[in-house]
Amino acid sequence: MAYADLRDFLAALDREGQLLTYSEPVAPEPDIGAAARATANITDRGPALLFGNINGYEPGKGRVAINVVGSWPNHALLLGLDKDTSVKDQFFEFAGRWDAFPGPIVRREDAPWKEVTLTEDIDLFQLLPLFRLNTYDVGCYIDKAVVISRDPDDPDDFGKQNVGIYRIQVKDKDRLGIQPLAAHDLGLHLQHAEERGENLPVAIALGNEPVITTVGGMPLAYDRSEYEMAAAIQGAPYPITTAPVTGLDVPYGSEVVIEGEIIAGEREIEGPFGEFTGHYSGAKRQPVIRIHQVSHRRNPIFEHLYLGMPWTEMDYTLALNTSVPLYRQLKTAFPEVTAVNAMYTQGLLGIISVKQRFGGFAKAVGMRAMTLPHGLAYCKVLIMVDDDVDPFNLAQVMWALSVHYHPLHDTVTVPNLSVLALDPSSDPAGITHKVILDATTPIAPEERGHYSQVVGNPERTADWENIVKGLLK
Amino acid sequence: MNDTDVNTSICPRCDAENVRVLTTSPVPGGWTMYVCVTCVYSWRSTEPASATDPLTYPAEFKINPAEIPAIPAIPAVPPRRR
Repeated sequence: MAYADLRDFLAALDREGQLLTYSEPVAPEPDIGAAARATANITDRGPALLFGNINGYEPGKGRVAINVVGSWPNHALLLGLDKDTSVKDQFFEFAGRWDAFPGPIVRREDAPWKEVTLTEDIDLFQLLPLFRLNTYDVGCYIDKAVVISRDPDDPDDFGKQNVGIYRIQVKDKDRLGIQPLAAHDLGLHLQHAEERGENLPVAIALGNEPVITTVGGMPLAYDRSEYEMAAAIQGAPYPITTAPVTGLDVPYGSEVVIEGEIIAGEREIEGPFGEFTGHYSGAKRQPVIRIHQVSHRRNPIFEHLYLGMPWTEMDYTLALNTSVPLYRQLKTAFPEVTAVNAMYTQGLLGIISVKQRFGGFAKAVGMRAMTLPHGLAYCKVLIMVDDDVDPFNLAQVMWALSVHYHPLHDTVTVPNLSVLALDPSSDPAGITHKVILDATTPIAPEERGHYSQVVGNPERTADWENIVKGLLK
Repeated sequence: MNDTDVNTSICPRCDAENVRVLTTSPVPGGWTMYVCVTCVYSWRSTEPASATDPLTYPAEFKINPAEIPAIPAIPAVPPRRR
């Protein structure tokens, strides 16, 4: 199932009753952010929101789509699945498609975003209904665009071309601030450019079908192409188009393509911005982008992501694209791993189910998770459960933790490890102790506790599950 | 709220009197965006007072302009290759 573009996906959501089009007048602030926050507050099955009548813009011209993948039904539809597909089934479907990497790409030059080109007097505020998302954000942000760049030391390597999502502060009509951390692929590209004394060309593609947005937020190996992963996840060739100024490969179906360059050696105050940790980020001096050209569809839709105190659209968007890479990488070392749920604050807390081979085994698996690429910045709290506990079912996980976990024997604390600096508990920022809570059943040679008399399902329970499901339909 | 009611000269965040008009709404008269040249804070004339009023802007989000140059650069600028 492949969606041609954002509009195609919004149409699919509409057919499934998962799009709410709001045509009454709204103020850019605080209405749009508040509506997205409210939707996340009241349900985990909520719709995407499309605003078409925003103060200061002609009705129908300045449009904002938000909360597009802000629920489990919308995430299932992203994968082309039935909207009622369980999270666990979505996880295994996603993991299966991961194995199809690398998928094929297809080059097309007739991209719809070539309709209009702006090279002079660029003013993003005229083109897009930019708005402040959370109360104490420093200004307006672009937070769901994919940013494309190449490694200046190896510009012809398609795999090293990066497609990632970074928060972008709109500082002026044609000037942006961006946050490429040193550990990010874009951070490495910028480092190489600045070591060479060169600006780094970038393309910023806004308003995309949802798969490239999902892959853009995925912790992929440095030389793996996001476009080839998007093709694998959507099960169809991924269409890309050459951006006219920078020559970078951008999604064919985007609403808007901004081209410019990160200015070498320049750092300017950026932030704060309300982050996925539920806390504001503070202000740092960060790189700056000068815009040279904007290409866009007529009346483009501005797609935005709501984030803040979990759960929000960001948590749904990043849940499985964080869990699946950890699962696949962990399973390479330990095939006994049966599932990974790393969807709490991007995997700062994760739950891993594993079939223990011998006493102490689950603790070793937890240690390995902490040393995977994503674990270097996350995996602060890991809960280990047996293979017959569904890590996506918190009732089961809390049961395992309450009856299997022994505080004296099952707590492993590892001091002074790396973590993302945005974790407000880290001290100094970027350093924390990490902990494994082993809630698996002790097995030999670790023989302790009283676990021989588990209350199982009565006979024919599975049959009755189907009977009851049928009667409830 | 009219533009005449809103703060247009003092940055709500850093209190610098170094504010300029960033842009105005595509439909004339809708709103005006202002930006602080000192700390790059921006606000819209139609926003609630929480975003526009220097007197009530929370202390934990205020910035002293003198401290801006000492804010850490992330990522740091690497040395040029020889």
